[in-house]
Amino acid sequence: MHLSRRQLLKAGMAGGLSATLFGCNLLPLKAGYAPEHFTGAVGLSDGGFGVSAINRHGQPLWQSPVDTRCHSGCNRPGGAQVLFFERRPGSSFYVLDQSSGARLHHVKAATGEHFVGHGVFSLDGRWLYATASRYAQGEGIVAVYDADDAYRRVDTFELAGIGPHQLTLHPNGETLVIGLGGILTHPDYDRIKLNLDTMQPALVLMNRRSGNILGRFHPSHHQQSIRHVDVNPTGEVYAAYQYQGPLHQAPPLLARLQDGRLQEIRFDDATQSALANYIASVTAHPENDLVAATSPVGGTAVVFEGRSGRLVSRASIPDCAGIQALAGGDFLVSSGRGKLVRLGTDNKSREIANLPVHWDHHLV
Amino acid sequence: MQQLTRLVGVSALALSSALAMTASASDTSLEARKRWHQAIYQGYQSLETEAEDFSQAASTYCSDPTPDARQAVEQDWLAAFLAWQQVRFVDFGPVEHNNLSWQFQFWPDPKNIVARKAGYLLKSDDQIDKDLIKASGVAVQGFPMTEYLLFDEPLNSGANALPTAKTCRLLTAVAHHIETNSEQLSHQWRSLRDHYLANDQYRDSTIRAGMAALEILEERRLAQPMGLRGTGKRSAYAADAWRSGTSLRTIEATIRGLKQHFLPGLSVLLTEAEQSQLARQIAAQFDEVLDNFPTLHRPIDALLSDDKAFAELQGLYMDVSQLATLVNDQAASTLGVVRGFNSSDGD
Repeated sequence: MHLSRRQLLKAGMAGGLSATLFGCNLLPLKAGYAPEHFTGAVGLSDGGFGVSAINRHGQPLWQSPVDTRCHSGCNRPGGAQVLFFERRPGSSFYVLDQSSGARLHHVKAATGEHFVGHGVFSLDGRWLYATASRYAQGEGIVAVYDADDAYRRVDTFELAGIGPHQLTLHPNGETLVIGLGGILTHPDYDRIKLNLDTMQPALVLMNRRSGNILGRFHPSHHQQSIRHVDVNPTGEVYAAYQYQGPLHQAPPLLARLQDGRLQEIRFDDATQSALANYIASVTAHPENDLVAATSPVGGTAVVFEGRSGRLVSRASIPDCAGIQALAGGDFLVSSGRGKLVRLGTDNKSREIANLPVHWDHHLV
Repeated sequence: MQQLTRLVGVSALALSSALAMTASASDTSLEARKRWHQAIYQGYQSLETEAEDFSQAASTYCSDPTPDARQAVEQDWLAAFLAWQQVRFVDFGPVEHNNLSWQFQFWPDPKNIVARKAGYLLKSDDQIDKDLIKASGVAVQGFPMTEYLLFDEPLNSGANALPTAKTCRLLTAVAHHIETNSEQLSHQWRSLRDHYLANDQYRDSTIRAGMAALEILEERRLAQPMGLRGTGKRSAYAADAWRSGTSLRTIEATIRGLKQHFLPGLSVLLTEAEQSQLARQIAAQFDEVLDNFPTLHRPIDALLSDDKAFAELQGLYMDVSQLATLVNDQAASTLGVVRGFNSSDGD
């Protein structure tokens, strides 16, 4: 059932969905697209799934039902549409009206392919690039769609690698930055990791028009699976890992692309341990040098200086995952327990809202 | 000045008691981990022994396929499979390497990949040996494949029925693979000991493993075949080990395994957290679940097709649900361990 804002507010008054804002009555603006909206995939208390948007008052704007659990999405430049992708292995993505949540398109994956949860638009908002896999062959691809033509599939770029995950667009408008996890899976075998001994994770740079690969950078250990990536407006590229080796080893989980290599960032032992070899999201702030990363497994969020790698803040937030950069320089972190927590340079986390939903991995 | 001294004294006291508490909690965690490590090691050793017997029985049967030898290999298969069920809850450590856990038991298998792979291997001209098994996928490498070869009715009434040479080669090669994996697992678990004891994170990993096992047992191994989830239809095919008619025995073994290898460490932590009453309740609930056996030692399809028998199955389901609530809600929240929406996602 699609819920309008009015219905949601009514439900909220009856003790249901409205957010509880603590300490302040207005969230800071979001940096970037659609600054008034915070949108994320959610798990609902009845076991169903949706995509939910809230405004700066912490009030739900809309909640749109989806068939299965979604993972992440992207705002279409121009502000009218927001997209969400089904969780890996995803068979479709949803195009929703940014202001009402109404479903505009439901686009299925091509035969033999599945989505992995992420997509990004060209700066003009016309071309959608979605990471995907041809599962029988285990080949990672970038699928290209024409948003002006009802999301018609127009092109396919080969990644020459396995397990692409998040992708984003470099501020030059031409280069796709892609996390290639390196892990082979197959829908017949659920999420079993089929090649842990031979995986070749990489950060891939690709020309968005030709699909030519401009660079491929490997982490220091072949089991540091690169899943998430971000880039700030000055072009600093960050990658976040999920380490597939034993828990008692705690290798670096974050890296900055510098001088043609992944310059890995390792924090103190206690922080490394608190991150539990798993990063779910990484976000480079568009207004400063700060980068935030979350580990739901370790229940820990960190903020660090991008260039130096110096740890600035560390907060314990159970099941935290989504991150949104806020205007003014701080970050907003969402959790599977419905919390929205503000985190910045002062190393004090402030819980600013609580909704009766499970926020999924990413906020857009 | 005196006041200041008193203040300093008080705060120093507060600090030292906070430190003492931390130290004591971490001692308890170490004690719990010592118990867990030892108990799980015993479980793995038992798996190793049973897997060796099964592999030996498979070879004996295939070299001289008498009815007695057939009965022996089926019994030894079950003993090894149940030994695996007892430690199946451990989802971290060496059992993660190389998907060892999936190699032991590829499940669920809604697409019947085990049967498809067996059909393919039995038809192909490839030499069936340990290298081929090693190179094959997880659907070939474990207990479900050997169960298929020993118990699948269509297979065993057709041209490829055991003890046909090729089927025998597949059986002995997979049994050998299970044996090798069991040895490796037991050996690697022993080697993990120092890391496991030195690293407090394994406390939460172990608790989460027990929680996940109970959730899988309740939701996927019982509710799903009982038609309480999803399509709402009862289906034996959604259960473990339906071919051998041992679905319920595997459930019993998992509960016994949790009681023996998981509960002692958990009880140490609960007692330290002044929750010994809860620890006793959990222990009693394990016994409640186990009281359903051996009455329920029947093939699951028989329990699903008869309403009176189904009521008994519902009784088991209720007992398991209560156990899951005690462990996954009450004990876990007391100990500050939660399986999150995102933390258990894997992306």
